[in-house]
Amino acid sequence: MTTTGTTTGTAADAAAATAVVVFDRVTKSYGDVRAVDGLSLALRPGETVALLGPNGAGKSTTLDLLLGLKNADSGSVTLFGTGPREAIVAGRVGAMLQSGGLMEDVTVAELVRLACDLHPRRYRVHDVLARAGISEIADRKVNKLSGGQAQRVRFALATAGDSDLIVLDEPTTGMDVSARQAFWATLREQADQGRTVLFATHYLEEADAVADRVLVLHRGRLLADGTAAEIKAKAGARRVRFDLHGPIDEAALRRLPFLTALDVSGHTVRIQSSDADATVHALYGLGLYPRNLEVAGLGLEQAFVAITEAEEAKQS
Amino acid sequence: MNTFASRSLIKLELARALRNRKFLFFSVLYPSILFLIIAGQSDGTARIDGTGLTLPTYMMVSMASFGALTAVLMGNSERIAKERESGWVRQLRLTPLPGHGYVLAKTASAAVVSLPSIVVVFVVAAAVKQVRLDAWQWCALTGAIWAGSLVFAALGVAIGYLATGDAVRPITMIVYFGLSLLGGLWMPATTFPRWLQNIADWLPTHAYAALGQAIERSQAPHLKDVTLLVVFFALFAGGAAWLYRKDTLKA
Repeated sequence: MTTTGTTTGTAADAAAATAVVVFDRVTKSYGDVRAVDGLSLALRPGETVALLGPNGAGKSTTLDLLLGLKNADSGSVTLFGTGPREAIVAGRVGAMLQSGGLMEDVTVAELVRLACDLHPRRYRVHDVLARAGISEIADRKVNKLSGGQAQRVRFALATAGDSDLIVLDEPTTGMDVSARQAFWATLREQADQGRTVLFATHYLEEADAVADRVLVLHRGRLLADGTAAEIKAKAGARRVRFDLHGPIDEAALRRLPFLTALDVSGHTVRIQSSDADATVHALYGLGLYPRNLEVAGLGLEQAFVAITEAEEAKQS
Repeated sequence: MNTFASRSLIKLELARALRNRKFLFFSVLYPSILFLIIAGQSDGTARIDGTGLTLPTYMMVSMASFGALTAVLMGNSERIAKERESGWVRQLRLTPLPGHGYVLAKTASAAVVSLPSIVVVFVVAAAVKQVRLDAWQWCALTGAIWAGSLVFAALGVAIGYLATGDAVRPITMIVYFGLSLLGGLWMPATTFPRWLQNIADWLPTHAYAALGQAIERSQAPHLKDVTLLVVFFALFAGGAAWLYRKDTLKA
């Protein structure tokens, strides 16, 4: 492994020299749709990075470009200073696709053995199965697995050898909550061994729980790049909803601290706040009696809208 | 490293093919059964017009060719189309396995299955219908039919990359039955009306069986048949390579 050193991430050239992955103004269109639109980014060694975005944001296309499954219309994709294919042939990349089909009519162990055989720096089949938590189903036929089990097998294929970069597209699709937790624990082990991990997800909570760094993708553009906490703060964090009896003084509500959006319909008031605690405290301070009070995190979609609006406001 | 990688995939593909009973039945046993049905009633001495061969001798080569054709065409086309659709082909592209390694493994495993399908027809023909040939002829027949099946392996790959998961079976079946029937694998093409014979003369399956029949007559294969097979192989392999590259860029 290369060491991280004192990369600041601002000096593009310096970053490119040590970067695991570099996207330089990459564009990819399907017909009229720009799936990836002038995307530039660099991943540093040892980072665990979440690629976050709603469906259709361009996550899968970005990963396909990164893995050389698709070619960019313009711009360049570099892995370890070479093209994606060269990096894969050198065994530096392990990857798991969202809908990566598996060979049928073979057992889990046979398939994992194949992945190990194909890797230049292979691990022992037994260890790979154990780490992915699929030792008990090693003799089962691949086409008889549940969705969550199939995901674990895909993960085993991605970690069959000593790769420097692990790429995962929506790895927890089809897993229940406990399977998800177990999976992220497994992934953290990979990260703790100094590997760079990049995973796509549309769950902010997943990004929050696992990633050192979150890249927010929206309409093929990089909308935000920071820690999960920064992203959450940027997204105007929380949603407050309550009912008020009697006449509602909208002007007074609009003056509440940390309020970023207000919507009144009938007796129901919906607020977005960057500091929900302070906002609610002030609400009581107005002498109001909010009923059915709910405070919840913003859904990711709304968080994106909030970030987008903020970005657009900044630009205009 | 790359040959090693391809080898482990070949091993797994082969294990899988040998586990597939339906595939084994149709490629290994079915041609022999068909041989017994077609040649079973004949007395084994009457010669087929224009060939100089008895019906059992003639049909032995036809059915061995048919068996090899079944193994390589079916083995390649349907699985490639299905695995392209399921995403397994994409997953394999994330390994150091070279792109052609996948096609190579499929073809190699099909070829391993096609060999017994040829030999079983020979054994049945020799044991039940007393077909007698020189040792060199048996060897040459096995080699020629086995090597010739590569033409259809390439066709199978091309179909696999051309067709989608749903369409691949009907397309394969039409091509498979069309080529088998019109090429004279099920009945001597000499029994066809003249115009159909003219078409059959130019089919790769006809040239394929003619190769074996020339060996049975202790003759050198016709230059036309060999040329036809080479041209079809180039055509199918070229088409397969082109479709493969197109698929790779799209996937």
